[in-house]
Amino acid sequence: MEIIKKVFFVENKRWVIGSLFIAFLLLLPIVILFIKLFSEPGNSFFYLWETVLVDYTLNTFYLIFITSFFSLLFGIFPAWFISNYRFYGRSFYDIVLYLPLAIPSYIMGFTYIDILSFTGPIQSTLRNTFPGLSLYFNIDYLQIETLGVLLGFALYPYIYTAARIAFSLLGSNYIDLSKNLGLSTLKTFYKIILPLSRPAIFSGLFLVIMEVLNEYGAVKYFGINTYTAGIFKAWFSLGDVGTAIQLACLLLFVVILFFLLEKISSSKTKFYYDTNVYIQKRLSINKKKLLFVHIICSIPFVFGFLIPLFFIINNVIQTYSSIDFTRLFTLSYNTIFVSSLSSFIIIVVALFFLFIQKISKTKINKTISQLISLGYAIPGAVIGLGLIILFSSIDSFFPFPLIGSFYILVYAYLIRFLAVGKSPIKSSLDKHPESYDDTGKNLGLGPLKLLQKIHLPINKFALISAFILTFIDIMKELPITLILRPFNFDTLATQTYEYAVEEMLPLSSIYSLSIIIIGSVLLLILKKIINKQLNVS
Amino acid sequence: MNKIYNIILILLLYGGCSQAERTSNEINIYSQRHYSVDEIQYKNFEKLTGIKINVVKANADELIERLKNEKENSPADLFITVDAGKLYRARELNLLQKLTTPIISKNVSVALLDPAGYWTPITYRARIVIFSNERVSKSDLSTYEDLSNSKWKGRLLVRSSSNAYNQALMSSIVANLGQEKAEVWSSGLVSNFARDPKGSDRDQVKAIAAGQGDIAIVNSYYIGLLLSSEKEEELKAGNSVSVFFPNQGEGERGSHINVSAIGLTKNSPNRENAIKLIEYLTSEEAQKVYVNNSYEYPVNPNVEPDDIVKKWGKFRSDNLDLNLLGKFREDAIFVFDKTGWK
Repeated sequence: MEIIKKVFFVENKRWVIGSLFIAFLLLLPIVILFIKLFSEPGNSFFYLWETVLVDYTLNTFYLIFITSFFSLLFGIFPAWFISNYRFYGRSFYDIVLYLPLAIPSYIMGFTYIDILSFTGPIQSTLRNTFPGLSLYFNIDYLQIETLGVLLGFALYPYIYTAARIAFSLLGSNYIDLSKNLGLSTLKTFYKIILPLSRPAIFSGLFLVIMEVLNEYGAVKYFGINTYTAGIFKAWFSLGDVGTAIQLACLLLFVVILFFLLEKISSSKTKFYYDTNVYIQKRLSINKKKLLFVHIICSIPFVFGFLIPLFFIINNVIQTYSSIDFTRLFTLSYNTIFVSSLSSFIIIVVALFFLFIQKISKTKINKTISQLISLGYAIPGAVIGLGLIILFSSIDSFFPFPLIGSFYILVYAYLIRFLAVGKSPIKSSLDKHPESYDDTGKNLGLGPLKLLQKIHLPINKFALISAFILTFIDIMKELPITLILRPFNFDTLATQTYEYAVEEMLPLSSIYSLSIIIIGSVLLLILKKIINKQLNVS
Repeated sequence: MNKIYNIILILLLYGGCSQAERTSNEINIYSQRHYSVDEIQYKNFEKLTGIKINVVKANADELIERLKNEKENSPADLFITVDAGKLYRARELNLLQKLTTPIISKNVSVALLDPAGYWTPITYRARIVIFSNERVSKSDLSTYEDLSNSKWKGRLLVRSSSNAYNQALMSSIVANLGQEKAEVWSSGLVSNFARDPKGSDRDQVKAIAAGQGDIAIVNSYYIGLLLSSEKEEELKAGNSVSVFFPNQGEGERGSHINVSAIGLTKNSPNRENAIKLIEYLTSEEAQKVYVNNSYEYPVNPNVEPDDIVKKWGKFRSDNLDLNLLGKFREDAIFVFDKTGWK
C-alpha cells in the first residue's frame, strides 16, 4: 500500500513517468549486454582467467596508480597556489593549465615516444653535440611508467578543474582561521583543505580512472596489457564476443562497487562548510617560495601542452605541401557538427533528469539519475556492440537501416558521455536553495515555466561548461565513432588515428593540431566562465 | 518551442540524407584498410564508371560483428581486410559468397587466389627479418625457425602478440609445423627477446638503430615507409638495417606473406557494381596505383613493385593456403599465451 501511495502522490507525476521512459531508452543497450551475458556463453573466460587475466588486472591497477598519482600531483598543487596566492604570472597559469585536455591521450603517447625516440629531436641533437651524454638518454621509453606519467599530463586537468573550484570556494578565511589556531600553511592544507575538498577531488579522480580504463590506443602501442586489452583480446584475437561482454560487465560491476564504497565512506564523514563570502583575498609569497611555485605551475603546462604542441606544429610545417585543405575543412565540419549536436542533446537530457530529480524528490529519480551515468564505465566499442545487437534485432521495423545512421552514433555518444555533461550541471543545481522552487511554485509557475524562468538563467554558466566539456570529449572520441559511423563519415579524430596507427605520424599532425586548436579555444571560453562563477560566489 | 521543432526537423532530414540507399548506382564497402591510396583508387573508379563508392572503415572484427548482426539487411557489398584470416572468419560465419570471374582469374597470380574462391587479393606484404648492418652478417640468418636459436639471445625485437601481423605469422607457423613445434619455437623466440614486445614495426627498426637489439621481425611495408621518410634521422635509421627474406633455401617453404583482400558479402545489394570494382582493383592500371602510393606488393603479375621494394630483390613466398591463417588463429593465441609472448 505504501508503495502504491507513493506512486500516486509523487509530485509532477507526468514528468517522472517521462523520465522513466527516457531512462529506459538510455539503459537499453546495457540491459541488452546483460541479457547477452546470460544467453551467449563465452568460451574463453576461464581460459583468459587462467592464463592472462590476473596479470592484465594487476597491470591495470598499476597504471591507474601511476596515472592517479601524477594527475593528483599536477592537478592539486597548482590549483592550490593559484587559488590562494598572489604572484606574477598567476592569471597566465590559470588560463593555460586547462589546455592539455585538448590533446587526446593517444596523441600524447604517440607524440612523446616520437620525441624521445632514438631518431627524435632530443637524442639526435645530443648525439651530434654531446655524444657521451646521449648514451644516458638512449633507453627504452616504451614502459608502463612512462605511459602513466604521460596519461597524468593528459588527464590532470580533470582534477585541476575540480580542485581549483573547490579551493576557491573554501577560500582564505579557512587559512586565516587555522593560522589563528597556530597551524602552519602546510598543515592547514593537509588537515583542513584537502579533507574538505575531498568530494570534489574524488569526482575529478573518478573521471581520470574511467579514462585510463577506457584507454586502448596508447596502451596497445606501449605493449601494456590492461584489463581493457583483455576485453579486446577476447573479441578481436579469439573471436569470442560473448567473453568480451562478460569481461565488460564484470568491469562495470567493479566500478559500481568502487563508487558505492566511496559514497559510503564519504557519507560517514560529512563536512558542512561555508563558501567564501568575501572577495578573494590572496596571500603573497616570499621570493624563495616563488621559484618553487613557478616550477610547480609550469611543469604540467609545459610538458602536457607546450612540448607536444611544438612538435606537432613542426610536423605540420614539414608536411605542409601534402595537406589537403578541402578534406581538412570537411573533417573539421563533421567533427564540429557531430560534437556540438551530441553535446547539445546530452545537456538537454542531463538537465531534464536533474531537474526532475529536483522537483519530484523521489528516490527512484535519484537512483535513475545515477544509473544513466553508468555508460561512462563501459568501453566505447562495447557500447557500440550493444547498440548493434539491439538495433539489428529491430531494424526491420524501420524504413531504413538504423545501424550506420547518424542517430545511432549520437545515441551512443549520449549513453557514453551523459555523465560528463551531468556533473557540472548537478553541482550548479545543488548550490541553489530549494526555496527558489517553492517561491516559483507559490507564484503559480508549472515545472516547465520554473525551468525556463528560474533554472535556465541561473544555471546558464554551468550549462555552457557542461557543453564544452562534453564537446571536447566527443571530439576526441574514437572507438564509438569507428564502429558506428555512417558511410564516408570521417572526423578529425578518426583521421588522426588512422595515420598514427599506420606509422605516419607527420601526416596526422594537421588533424591533431585542428583538434587541439578547437579544444583550446573552447577551454579558454570555459576558463572565462569558471572565473566569472568563482568571482560571483 | 518552435525553435526546438525546427532543430528536430533539420536533424531528421540530415539523418535521412546520410542514409545509403539499399540498391542504386553505388557500392558500399566495409573496410579495415585505411590508406590514402584507397581513396585515390575509389575516385578513379568513380570517374571511370560513374558508380559512387561509400566506405566505412573500422577494425575487421568490429565490421564482422556489424555484418553478422545486420544479416540480410546489411547495406555492405564488399568486406576488405588486411588479413586473409579475417576473411576466412567472415566466410565461416556465412557472411560471404563465392566469386570467380574470368577477368579476376586473368588479373591475379594463381598462387595468391583463394583456393575456396571466397575472396580476391588486391595487394600483399611479407613479414620479414631486418638486421643491423653493423652487428649482423647476412649469412647468420636463414629461417624463421632459426630465430629461436640461442645465438640470438637478447638480440631479437618484435612487437606485441596482440598485433594481427604477428598473429598471422604464428598461425602460419602452427599450420606449417604443428602446435607442439610452434610452442617450442615461440619459447625459444621469447627467451631471445631483447625487450618486452611493444611499439610499432617502425619502432623495432629504431630500436636496432639505437642498439637495443640486432634483428627484428617486421612487415616489408613499414621499411619502405621509413626509407621514404622526410626526416633525416629516420632515413639514417632505415639505412642502418637491411632486409632479409627468411626460408629461401632449397626445400624451404618461403617467406610468410599475407594479403589485403576483398570478399563479396552474402547479400550484396549491388552485386554487379561490386564485381566491377574488384575487377578494376586487380587490373594493371589500379595495381600500378597501389604500387606507386604504398610499399605493398602487387597481385597482378604484370605489375612491378615500387623501386625501394624492388631493391630488396625477388623472393619466394610461402604457398600456404592463407585461409589457414584464420583457421589456426586461436591456436596461435594459445601458443603466445602459453609461451609468454606478451
